[in-house]
Amino acid sequence: MSLSFERLQATVQAAHGRPGRGYWLLLALAASLAAWGGWAYSLVVRNGLYVTGLERPGCWGNLITDFVFWVGIAHSGTLISAILFLFRAKFRTAVYRVAEMMTVFAVMTAGLYPIFHLGRPWFAYWLFPYPNERGIWVNFRSPLIWDVFAISTYFIVSTVFLLVGVAPDAAALRDRAAGWRRRLYGILAFGWRGTDEQWRHYTRAYLFFAAFATPLVVSVHSVVSWDFAVSVLPGWHSTLFPPYFVAGAILSGVAMVIVILVPLRRWLHLEEIITPRHLDMLSRLVLLTSLIVTYSYATEILTALGEPASDPERSTFVYRMTGDYAPLFWLMVACNCVGPSLLLAGKVRRSVKALFTISLLVNVGMWLERFNIVVTSLAHDRDPFSWRTYTPSWVEWAMTFGAFGWFFFWFLVGLKVLPPVSIAEMKEELAHEAHASGEAAHAG
Amino acid sequence: MPAEAGVLGSFGEPSAAAGAVRALKGAGFADVRVAMPAPFPEVVLAIGKPRSPIDFVTFPGALVGLLCGIGLTVGTSLAWPLVTGGKPVVSIPPFVIVIFEMTVLIGSLTNLLAVSLGSWHGGRARVFPGQPTFNADRIGVYAVGGDPALAERVLRESGAEEVGRVG
Repeated sequence: MSLSFERLQATVQAAHGRPGRGYWLLLALAASLAAWGGWAYSLVVRNGLYVTGLERPGCWGNLITDFVFWVGIAHSGTLISAILFLFRAKFRTAVYRVAEMMTVFAVMTAGLYPIFHLGRPWFAYWLFPYPNERGIWVNFRSPLIWDVFAISTYFIVSTVFLLVGVAPDAAALRDRAAGWRRRLYGILAFGWRGTDEQWRHYTRAYLFFAAFATPLVVSVHSVVSWDFAVSVLPGWHSTLFPPYFVAGAILSGVAMVIVILVPLRRWLHLEEIITPRHLDMLSRLVLLTSLIVTYSYATEILTALGEPASDPERSTFVYRMTGDYAPLFWLMVACNCVGPSLLLAGKVRRSVKALFTISLLVNVGMWLERFNIVVTSLAHDRDPFSWRTYTPSWVEWAMTFGAFGWFFFWFLVGLKVLPPVSIAEMKEELAHEAHASGEAAHAG
Repeated sequence: MPAEAGVLGSFGEPSAAAGAVRALKGAGFADVRVAMPAPFPEVVLAIGKPRSPIDFVTFPGALVGLLCGIGLTVGTSLAWPLVTGGKPVVSIPPFVIVIFEMTVLIGSLTNLLAVSLGSWHGGRARVFPGQPTFNADRIGVYAVGGDPALAERVLRESGAEEVGRVG
């Protein structure tokens, strides 16, 4: 056995040790960014959306871009924990907990944006169906209501999935902890004792959670894509959008997992658990989804270019590639298509620095992709009279960066509360490896 | 709740624990319980318990979610039949999205309820002696009732690192 149960647990437990100065600095930085974003949002609440750069026809800008970006980031967790679980992909074991945590905190971030974007956010509860004195219900034909249902369901199911997975690990940590940590792990363990009866129900239930979560992953970003695709705007009205958005979401999500895992494994001394092989497998996922995204870009562009010159769809795509926002479009192509193609080389996949840089750039590229979709289509619609460019105000940039602060603040807190690696599943895998190597030695 | 009288053996290897479970059953012990840090397949197989019945709670839960989704979308639309965008009052394609989300949401929550109740009930019906190490790196095999001397011998012969009587 390369890594003993004892050592595995000690390594994960050590991650919950007393935080150093670097941790507090990062936490303070994240909290400051979130506070800055919160201050900027308070200006929107007090003065209205006119403090943003939003104006006709560009009524959607950074805030909707951020919303789609963070929903996309949230996709990797459930993909890695649920879909790869159903496919019995063993490499997920070491990395899925971080991805699941990322999912929950990213949905918490994404869910803020539709509320930010409401002119009167104090009426956000109108989006939920409840019997009210007016006797009128929400319009279930509206994509905004689909978002409410999809995002709320995704948040609840992802959180349940995360906490159910944590229970056996929390029990293992509880038995060796003291003080407030023991009480906290006790709560997270939900009375877990690891008996055969508990495992019998748990393994079956986990399979169901994975089976429920898998179509949910596909549905959530499809629903988000329909926010655009059910409109009649050139550049949005496309049946390609659901698969294109889901692939893009997985690309950005897995890239974000790599961006987080690379420094994390070093900082928490998890190198023995999260090995270069795990990073290699994740990089293959990035490569695969990047190829799907590249194919989607090519499909929508070539389809549009096949139309006559007077066609609005063609006009919008030509504008995207050559107009005011062209540098952003080509930067997006470089980050999402050219960069990840370097991962075809095994040498690049095995270089942690190269992988980190490519993944970071994919995240930049995926934010730009959403910006291109949202902004260029609105800036260049069917009516040339209303063509107008959109530039985000500092308030929107503050809210964009504030969201990163909000996300990383919760993530850093989560790292000190939840085990960053699934101890139980790792033990199962280690026992399996030891058994297989023992058999091989016996046969040899 | 105190554990019944029996013999508890501690194992470091899943294959040894699985062997002990089989040996105890072969020796006539009908009630053999195990606590372990992970669901090791060989041990689960040796215990030989049928599949968890939580399917019978989760599937009806998902079905209730489906019906709630249909009731919410169709029922509320018919309660105030307001035509918007020239579309039918009961528009099936957009309603499917909400119905699907409700199915998944209520199905998942019922699944959570089922696993919580199953674990809680299992813990009460099949008490395991308190040994914190069984969540960490050891596997506990607990033979309830029967001849304790025989159980001790079988557990030792199967490779138990520690054997002790309970109750």
